[in-house]
Amino acid sequence: MTTSSGIAIDGVGMQFGGRQGVTALEGIDLNISAGEFVALVGPSGCGKSTLLRIVSGLLEPTSGCVDVGGKTPDEARRDIDFGFVFQQPALFPWLRVLGNVLLPDRVLGRRSPNRGPGSEHVARELLRDVGLEGFEDHYPGQVSGGMRQRVALARALSYDPKILLMDEPFGALDEFTRDRLNLQLLDVCKKAGSTVLFVTHSIQEAIFLADRVVMLSPRPGHVTRIAEVPFPRPRNLEVRYEPEFAALAGELRGLLVVEDEVELARKQL
Amino acid sequence: MSIIRERSRMVDVALRFLPSLAVFVVGLVAWEVWVNVRDVPAYLYPSASEVGSELLDEGPSLAADDLRWTMIEAILGFLLGSFAAVLAAIVFVHAKFIERVLFPWAIVLQTVPIVAVAPLLTIWFGFTLRPKVIIAALICFFPVLVNTTKGFRSISSQAIELMRILSATKWSIFWRLRVPSSLPYVFAGLKVASTLSVIGAIVAEFTGADRGIGFVIIQASYRLDTRLMFAGIALSSAAGVVFFNIIGALERLALRWPDARLEQ
Ligand SMILES: Nc1ncnc2c1ncn2[C@@H]1O[C@H](COP(=O)(O)OP(=O)(O)OP(=O)(O)O)[C@@H](O)[C@H]1O
Ligand SMILES: [Mg+2]
Repeated sequence: MTTSSGIAIDGVGMQFGGRQGVTALEGIDLNISAGEFVALVGPSGCGKSTLLRIVSGLLEPTSGCVDVGGKTPDEARRDIDFGFVFQQPALFPWLRVLGNVLLPDRVLGRRSPNRGPGSEHVARELLRDVGLEGFEDHYPGQVSGGMRQRVALARALSYDPKILLMDEPFGALDEFTRDRLNLQLLDVCKKAGSTVLFVTHSIQEAIFLADRVVMLSPRPGHVTRIAEVPFPRPRNLEVRYEPEFAALAGELRGLLVVEDEVELARKQL
Repeated sequence: MSIIRERSRMVDVALRFLPSLAVFVVGLVAWEVWVNVRDVPAYLYPSASEVGSELLDEGPSLAADDLRWTMIEAILGFLLGSFAAVLAAIVFVHAKFIERVLFPWAIVLQTVPIVAVAPLLTIWFGFTLRPKVIIAALICFFPVLVNTTKGFRSISSQAIELMRILSATKWSIFWRLRVPSSLPYVFAGLKVASTLSVIGAIVAEFTGADRGIGFVIIQASYRLDTRLMFAGIALSSAAGVVFFNIIGALERLALRWPDARLEQ
């Protein structure tokens, strides 16, 4: 199995569009240890996707720096340390579902962890894990939005990345499928020992999955709270009905509401 | 079972083309009636039936010799022009600077009146194949260039980001992402170019040739042989339609995924 890496985010800020542009992020400090599962929660536009892009080396921050297991994000990206599930599935419409999951293997070539005929076996198994058995030969244009999102998940997992960056991967799914995939994800992460940075709008999902939940606020995006999740692993779905769970969820939701009220008050002035 | 399905498919195709065919027949009848009722001189307006019999008499030999020649010119020009256009698009997409320098000249090239350039080329190259192929290529170049460039640019930023996450080389991004996503656009351009190429070849033949449908039409016009002119026009446009449909068939073969083909 892959050895995972930690992520150290140090004073990261991001400003878009020159002088009078948007400040998407400001002074983000966050240390994620190897194998840890961290969830990012925050209202729309607070810079969650931007932070994932910076961590993966797709975007250069305008201030601060990021360290990924002793490497710069760009070096880690070149070493193919990241698996990225984008906010939109970004499948290739000319490849069938199986072909899309095999794409990383084909692109990586000699660098792929499961080369040759083994790779197709792995891809089929992953598709079964995400509940898409029997859809291998469909085109993305022939499956539903939630199914496409699951293909994108299988694609990201297909090459055992050390670090998984997931941008609202289950946003388009119904509750039952989401529950099933949440459990599946925890299982995969435990087996692979990968470090996960997971963006979601659902506080429940964040608490259920993560070791720590990071709350972000917009304008400019900054961390308002980092909450430890006290539940031991492995977790089952029943954990969500415990009073402690509800208390934490309520507390974190309160954080968002307070922010909203501040925002409202500012508008009324 | 499969025979029945095959037959019903043929019926489907027939039904699809029936309305167009009906328009054609109505047009022919109107033409015939108009010429007979107005009693116009036959050397000015031949009737549909006269053109038809001319086609029966002269068609086979015209098709075997002159039309074949014209289509060779058109297809060579089409291949040359499209190939050059795709190459130019590849360069443009990878070197923004070159595009900025050269694209205005591509537009200038497109605005140059082909009818004026054709005699010039004929002066330079004589009654040979070359000026016809060049004119056909010139006329094909622009639509393919514009469409292919647009196609190469039609990829989503997240698809590019995915390839960067996989640390894909420029080469890999080109073949696995840019080429497939540009294909629908390329074919849209090729379909336009296929019909234009026939026109280009004929225009070039007008300015100096000793065979070809353009040559036949221009010779017939000197003799006021309007029947032969109409026959030539009908043949060349039929050939253009066939060429267009061949490209369309190739398109259907190449673009198999849902919603791949752009609406025209
Ligand atoms: N490429 C860009 N150019 C300019 N501004 C950008 C760019 N990308 C993001 N932004 C701005 O940065 C801010 C944060 O965007 P981001 O996409 O990171 O938000 P988000 O938290 O992911 O929101 P959502 O939950 O809606 O996906 C927004 O105000 C957005 O307008
Ligand atoms: Mg986002």
